[in-house]
Amino acid sequence: MRTRKLIAALAFAGASMLAVAAHADNYEIDGQHAWVTFTVKHGIYGIAHGQFDGVKGTIALDKADVSKSSVKAELDVGSIHTAFDQRDSDLKGPDFFNAAEFPTISFESTKVEKVDDKTGKVTGNLTISGVSKEVTLDVKLLNEAPAPWDATLTKAAFSATGKVSTADFPMAKAADGFGLGPEVEIVIDLEAIKK
Amino acid sequence: MVTTAALPLLLGITLALAARFAVPAASPVVTLFWAALLLFFYWDTLGPPAVPPVAASQKLIYLAFAGIVIGLPPGRVLGRATSFVAAIAFAAAFLWLGWRRLAGGSLDLQMIAALAVGLLALIGAALLIGRQPSPSPSAEEPFLAPAAVLALSFSGAIVSVLGASIVTGQLLGSIAALIGGWCLVQYLAVLRGGAAASWSKGVEFLLLYASATVLIQVALLAPKANPAALILSSLPPVVAVLMRGPLQGLLPGTRPLRPLVAGILIAAPAILAIMTAIVWAPHGAALGFS
Repeated sequence: MRTRKLIAALAFAGASMLAVAAHADNYEIDGQHAWVTFTVKHGIYGIAHGQFDGVKGTIALDKADVSKSSVKAELDVGSIHTAFDQRDSDLKGPDFFNAAEFPTISFESTKVEKVDDKTGKVTGNLTISGVSKEVTLDVKLLNEAPAPWDATLTKAAFSATGKVSTADFPMAKAADGFGLGPEVEIVIDLEAIKK
Repeated sequence: MVTTAALPLLLGITLALAARFAVPAASPVVTLFWAALLLFFYWDTLGPPAVPPVAASQKLIYLAFAGIVIGLPPGRVLGRATSFVAAIAFAAAFLWLGWRRLAGGSLDLQMIAALAVGLLALIGAALLIGRQPSPSPSAEEPFLAPAAVLALSFSGAIVSVLGASIVTGQLLGSIAALIGGWCLVQYLAVLRGGAAASWSKGVEFLLLYASATVLIQVALLAPKANPAALILSSLPPVVAVLMRGPLQGLLPGTRPLRPLVAGILIAAPAILAIMTAIVWAPHGAALGFS
C-alpha cells in the first residue's frame, strides 16, 4: 500500500515537472548584450547617467501563464561606469554602492503580471548593499527569434523600466549630502539566450 | 560645515564650561551629556538607526551605543578588567564591521591596513583606558586622552574624505570639533593658572571607541583611503600612553607649555597621516560627483 502511494506521488511530481517544463521557456541573460542603465538628478543641474556592464541571470517565461514566470538577475557593482573614472570609484565606495562589503546587486522576482501580449509587470526584491526593497518593473518582450546565423540559437529581447529611491538603501546621504536623486530611473535592455 | 564643525565645536565649549562651573567633570551627568551629543551627531550624519543593521555604516551607531553602555558605569565597576573589556570591545567591533570582508578571505593591502588599524586601536585603547590615575597629576595629564581622540578623529576625518568616504569623514570631523571645543576651554584654564578638568574613564572609553570604530570602518571599506595614512591615524592613543613614560622627558618644565607640547607629540602621527593622505591622494580623490 505504502509503495503504491509512493509511486503515485512520484508520478504526480514527475508529471508536474513535465508540465512546468512544457510551458516555461528558460533563458540565460546574455551579458554581452545587456544594458542596465540608470539616470539620476545631479544637484541643481542636470541628469547623470550610469551603466552596469557585469550582468548575469536567468529568466523563466511561461507564455501560457505569465504569472508563473520568474526572473533572477545579478549586477557586478565593480562594473559600474559613468564616463568618469573618479566618479565611478566614488560610486563603488562606502557612501554609495559599498562594493567592498556588497560586491553585487541582485533582483529576484516575486510576482509577474501580464498586461497584454507583449508587456507585463515584474515585481521583485531589489537588494542593494544588503537591503532589499520591492520594485516593480514595466517589462516589454521586444522579440524572440532564432539567430539568422545559427538556427539552433534562439534569443529573446526584453526592455524594462522602473524607479527606485536612494533613500531606501544605505546611501541615504546621496540626496541630501551629494545632491543625487533621490529618485533613480532604471532602463534595462537585454537579450537572453533560450536554453 | 555648520553641523560638522561649528555646532560640535560650540557644544564642546559649552560642555567644558558646564564641567568647569556647574557639575564636576567626572560626574555621570557629564558622561551622559557626552553620550547624548555623540548619538546626536551619529544620527545627524548617518540617519536614524536601521533595524536590523546590515551594512557596516548602519552598525556604527549601535557600536557607539555599546561604547556608551560600557562607559556609563563608574570606573570602579570594571576595575582592573577595564583594559580587557576595551580590548574585547574593539575586537568584537572589528569582527562585526568587517565580517563580510573577512569572509571574502582576500588579504590585500587594504585588508592588511584595516587589521593594523584595528590592532593599534585595540592596543592604544586598552593601554590608555587601563592606565591608573596619577596621585599628583601633571598639567598635561587631563589632556592625554582628549588629545589622542581629537588627533585620531581629525586625521581620520581628512583621510576618510580624501579616500572618498565623505559621510564617515563628516562624522569623525564632528567628533574632533566636539573634543576640540572641550580642549580649548581646558587649555585656556591652564593658561590662566588653573587646572584642566579630566575626563572620566567612561568618557575616555566611549569617545575613543566611537572614533576608532569609525576609523576601522574607513580602513575596511574605503578602497581609496591611503593605507599608510590610516595606520598613522590610529597611533595617537599609543603615543598618549607613552607620554607618561619615555616621552615624558620631551616635555618642557614650563607648566602652560606642557599640555601644548604633549598635544603636538600625540598629534604627530596624525599630522603625518594627513600629509601622507594629501601628498598621495589621487588627483581630486574625493567628491567625484561634485
